[in-house]
Amino acid sequence: MEFKDYYQALGVDRTASEDEIRRAYRKLARKYHPDVSKEADAEARMREVNEAYAVLGDKEKREAYDNIGAGVSPGQGFAPPPGWDQGFEFAGRPGGFEEDAEFSDFFSALFGAAARRRGGAARMRGEDHHAAIQIDLEDALRGATRDISLRGIQYDAQGRPEVRERTLSVRIPAGVREGQLIRLAGQGMAGAGGGEAGDLYLEIRFRPHPLYRAEGRDLYLTLPVAPWEAVLGDTVQAPTPGGQVEVTIPPGSRNGRKLRLKGRGIPGNPPGDLYLVLDIAWPPADSDRAREAYKNLAREMPFDPRRNLGAQA
Amino acid sequence: MKAAITTVTVIDRDAELTLGDLARACGAETAWVVELVEVGIVQARRGRQPADWAFQGDDLRRARQARRLQRDFGVELDAAALMLDLMEEVRRLKARLGALGG
Repeated sequence: MEFKDYYQALGVDRTASEDEIRRAYRKLARKYHPDVSKEADAEARMREVNEAYAVLGDKEKREAYDNIGAGVSPGQGFAPPPGWDQGFEFAGRPGGFEEDAEFSDFFSALFGAAARRRGGAARMRGEDHHAAIQIDLEDALRGATRDISLRGIQYDAQGRPEVRERTLSVRIPAGVREGQLIRLAGQGMAGAGGGEAGDLYLEIRFRPHPLYRAEGRDLYLTLPVAPWEAVLGDTVQAPTPGGQVEVTIPPGSRNGRKLRLKGRGIPGNPPGDLYLVLDIAWPPADSDRAREAYKNLAREMPFDPRRNLGAQA
Repeated sequence: MKAAITTVTVIDRDAELTLGDLARACGAETAWVVELVEVGIVQARRGRQPADWAFQGDDLRRARQARRLQRDFGVELDAAALMLDLMEEVRRLKARLGALGG
């Protein structure tokens, strides 16, 4: 296990005041906040910063960390001496351990045991955990069983915490939407003193699909059409999740026109629709014949696209 | 080690969250969720009494974001409500922009 330098993570001195630590944390939290950050490694950095602040922002934990960290340099191999945290009682803020599962082994080894002892005697329900699961659109259309790996803390016979990876096979029901939450009862943190385990909430995320874009239960597909198909109307073949269908392009269709195929989106009650968004594609003028055809069109069609701008043709 | 297949509950109109569920999922007290309802960060459906309240997945997401904003920046809940609305608007606009190929 590597010793983590939490002071370095927050960019503060070991002598920094509580105020300085809070200010440094807020500055970094703003920089790496997953909802706003443009940094590529924002999520990983935010985890580090959160972990550092969970320790340094808490007077008791900081003191314990300072005691144990004296004489150890960052990156050095490290194992906490047995019983090192005896003298400390970690009050912890409500919800302070909410994100334990995302913290490092180092953190868990130092503070996991203490948290465990704190609730050791009392019967306590385990905390709920949160994670996200990425699925394909096809999984939402037809339902699927997908594996998800989770890191969580487990305790050995001596009550020492270990970070263990476990795999859950999750049955994704057909009809789930992007952003929807699914609940796995009893798959959160284990309870203490015979209390029941917490739940695990998974947020559904879709991998980008080469053809379709989902909005709620509705799907959008960009359908390229030739100018004459759009202007004169025609019947063309279009893909749908359920297979190819024949669709009628109404005459006089403009670019961006949406054709709705009712009920051909993500299943549900009611099911979503599939929208075909027309995208008029112009044939390239890459041969004499093609150029002649365009010139013909220009000659035959009295058409001024700028007539509404008040400019003379 | 291969785990057994876990069946799940989709949080939607047929399976909503209670006040207790929502509080627990945020690692918070129910009184805090009542405050969220008061400032409009989450929407209590169904009954007038907190015991009858029902919430959806979106509410849980917003509640957890509000918790993070409170913890990270020490903001008041009504400021958090405004920040959440703005963040959601940005996400919506970004999605529109993406759809337009921008």
